[in-house]
Amino acid sequence: MDSRTNNEDQIETEGMADNKSSRRQFLKKMSIAAAAGSASLVVGGCGGSLKTEEMGLKWEEYFKEHYRLMTQEEKDATVKRLERLAKLERGIDVQMSNQEPHEQVLYGYAFNISRCKGYMDCVEACVKENNLDRRAKTQYVRIFEMDPGKLDPTAGDGQFFHEVPVDNKFYMGVQCFHCENAPCIKACPTKATWREPDGIVVVDYDWCIGCRYCLAACPYWGRRFNWGDPEVPKEEINLNQHYLGNRMRMKGVMEKCTFCVQRTRKGKLPACADACPTGSRVFGNLLDPNSEIRFVLKNKKVFRFKEDLGTEPKFWYFMD
Amino acid sequence: MALAAVVLVDQSAVASGAAGAESVTDRINHATEPYDSMRVSTAYELSVKTVQSKEQYQGGDFKVLARKDQISRFRCSVCHNDKPVLIQNGALFTHGDVKLNHGLGNNQLTCNECHSMGNRDFLVDKEGQKIDFDHSYQLCGKCHFRQKRDWLGGAHGKREAYWAGERVVRNCTSCHNPHSPAFATKMPATYSLPLDE
Amino acid sequence: MTTTPKKGFIAFIMDCTRWSFTGGIAYMIYLLVLLALIVSGIYAYSQQFQHGLIITGMSDIVSWGLYISNFTFFVGVAAAAVMLILPAYILKDKDLHQVVIIGEGVAVGALVMCLLFITVDMGGPLKVWHMIPGIGQFNWPSSILTWDMLVLNGYLALNSLVPLYILYCNYHGRKPVGWKYKPFVFLSIFWAVSIHMTTAFLYQGLPARPFWNNPLLGPRFLASAFAAGPAVIMMVLIVIKENTDYAIDSNIFQKLKRIIVASAIINLVMLFSEVFKEFYTFTHHSLSAQYLFFGLEGHDSLVPWIWTAISLNILGTLLFAFDPTKGKPRYLMVAAISLFTGIWIEKGFGLIIPGFVPSPLGEVVDYTPSILEIQVTVGILAAGAFVVTMLIKPALAIEMRLREKASM
Repeated sequence: MDSRTNNEDQIETEGMADNKSSRRQFLKKMSIAAAAGSASLVVGGCGGSLKTEEMGLKWEEYFKEHYRLMTQEEKDATVKRLERLAKLERGIDVQMSNQEPHEQVLYGYAFNISRCKGYMDCVEACVKENNLDRRAKTQYVRIFEMDPGKLDPTAGDGQFFHEVPVDNKFYMGVQCFHCENAPCIKACPTKATWREPDGIVVVDYDWCIGCRYCLAACPYWGRRFNWGDPEVPKEEINLNQHYLGNRMRMKGVMEKCTFCVQRTRKGKLPACADACPTGSRVFGNLLDPNSEIRFVLKNKKVFRFKEDLGTEPKFWYFMD
Repeated sequence: MALAAVVLVDQSAVASGAAGAESVTDRINHATEPYDSMRVSTAYELSVKTVQSKEQYQGGDFKVLARKDQISRFRCSVCHNDKPVLIQNGALFTHGDVKLNHGLGNNQLTCNECHSMGNRDFLVDKEGQKIDFDHSYQLCGKCHFRQKRDWLGGAHGKREAYWAGERVVRNCTSCHNPHSPAFATKMPATYSLPLDE
Repeated sequence: MTTTPKKGFIAFIMDCTRWSFTGGIAYMIYLLVLLALIVSGIYAYSQQFQHGLIITGMSDIVSWGLYISNFTFFVGVAAAAVMLILPAYILKDKDLHQVVIIGEGVAVGALVMCLLFITVDMGGPLKVWHMIPGIGQFNWPSSILTWDMLVLNGYLALNSLVPLYILYCNYHGRKPVGWKYKPFVFLSIFWAVSIHMTTAFLYQGLPARPFWNNPLLGPRFLASAFAAGPAVIMMVLIVIKENTDYAIDSNIFQKLKRIIVASAIINLVMLFSEVFKEFYTFTHHSLSAQYLFFGLEGHDSLVPWIWTAISLNILGTLLFAFDPTKGKPRYLMVAAISLFTGIWIEKGFGLIIPGFVPSPLGEVVDYTPSILEIQVTVGILAAGAFVVTMLIKPALAIEMRLREKASM
């Protein structure tokens, strides 16, 4: 049933693969030269060998090609380099995965606005799970305290900090909605952001040039930019990482909610859904007619935010 | 050539609007074959105690978190029996720590509306049928039948840890204190910055 | 002359460089000031390169600031060279033909500024090769940014190579061969329109930003560009007329004035149309306009700017339209500065910032550029002025030499 969309995804990748061999050869030559150069530096022993190893790895990382065009070996190699760089630069032992999406899976999310009490456990869990910048207080998930009468988060207060829930107010959460027709994907000049076959919209941080056109294009404020180098205290770094997800970012690149790709591809709930104490968040496979998310879509009155823009988000709101 | 460029802009705009034409709703409605989420092989390591639910959901059987291992003084019949019992810390043992606030206004529930007077190891419904503590949803659902229907389907309550693999859900009392079910008022876990700092 | 081409080209470059750096004491001071500003800009950018864009005043809400505002405005100035080229080549206007080379110099300077503004705005400028088709990924035709890259670089090539060829021929006293450059000139007329429409489409195509998502943005860009651009050209011409021996006929100023008045009036009509749409029926989409003109939820940092801008715009238009001095250069300079400044504010940060406020989630913030950000901006503006000077001074020398030869 969804083979058509899979084919579309494939065709997109094939279209990107024009001149693949010449580009691949060019980049291969560069990275061979890079590897040889860094190896010779290490052998030659000029400077501290750890420092030159680090520089050699960074050199190879700089010249790597677009993630979607890498072979499985190249993907594994870049993951290994990044794990080693994390060890050299920060002294941490990271397990980075590049797990591919499961077939016949399309992630969907539902948010119960009758149940959310504004506790913001989801916001905090996401910050910890995804290694978000503590200095800039980046938060992928935002909760709005709403007065009754409007179902529009733009009318709500996103900066509340008092005892919740307040009588006669309700709470709505927003985050990246992983649109099927995402304006951010259309806007990116380098194809650094794309939609994976399992529906999540991801960013390859190493490919992003930081033009912020996607941030301007998103109607839901789903994306964040690293204005400075993100800071996470070493003991709080989540070491279970995914290349497309919560690995450590650098200044000058975009980032966003990835439905916790490092968790969901292992079958776990995303951190926000797992942390919610009131059970307001439902997550699952939209292509499984027996899933909880499908039950919600079938039996509850659901709506999506700014539906009239045609972005086809995969995040619904419902009420009891 | 520049004119052609301008024309191409229009064409590409139209084309990219038409691409991705199948909407999410259509795609979902076409997906009618059940998905075997057991194939997500990593989704099974749960160390909590579960029981098989006595009712089914749209995908068949599922498991519920056990409750009896969470109740510190179960088995109740250890004290509640025919034999006299010597009691130290009487206030504590006579359930003085239970604050009962289940119901609105003057329509509060009393203890024996849920707990069986005959056999304290079980709950009881209005017809006198005994209900196991591990399957408390059968009792709660007698009044809260809408929530129970939603809980069975997945729109109420919470699935434990995984979206794939075997379905393990929390029981009613995992989240709601049965004696005082409403969620407490408390400070949020964090706050969001004023953004023009 | 029987110079071999290569020798001739090197001599050409050396003479041009010599002419660029010779001049009176005022000229030298002017160059030194520009160089000082450029150096300060480079220092500020080095800070930004090291620490990231956090040193600017931009945030996740207002994610484009002074850099992109100036980029937007100066693309218009670059496009406005067409307003000289079109009458000169298609309408065969002999007067304007004399000053086309100056217009193209201004266009190149403006384009260099635009490319510099984009570069300093990027979070990862070293990764810009990711956009090159063939070795990177070029998201064409989806992303309007890719279109913009193509048209801007193409226009830069057209506007630098064609005058280079003409000047090179004039330097050697030859007449440039018609078929070698005229097709490109005609191409550049249409290309100028397309660079500015494409830049407008960058903003116009985003339904996430209702302040920009209206069909009038593209035409409005053209109208304001054809008012502000010729105003810049007029300012340069006045400076040349007052300070050099290069003869500029006063007819030229009259013709430029007419072009400016027509465009400025159309621009004001379009402004009125936008204001009507936003405020006659106030919807949720009008909040950005409210923020700009009246302030929103206590945030009103742009209000004095926009009202100043509109006043200067109207003043400049009126000064140009009803000129009692019949083309006196000092008067025209005042009018040009007034109109230019008004449009620079209104189309620069008066367009970009309100597009982001309120955010798509309704949050309202102000944007204040940081000192380092202003330093980089001023540095780039100085670099643009420097490029224009470097191009125009030798061009004038070559043209004057040609005229002397012609009158001998």
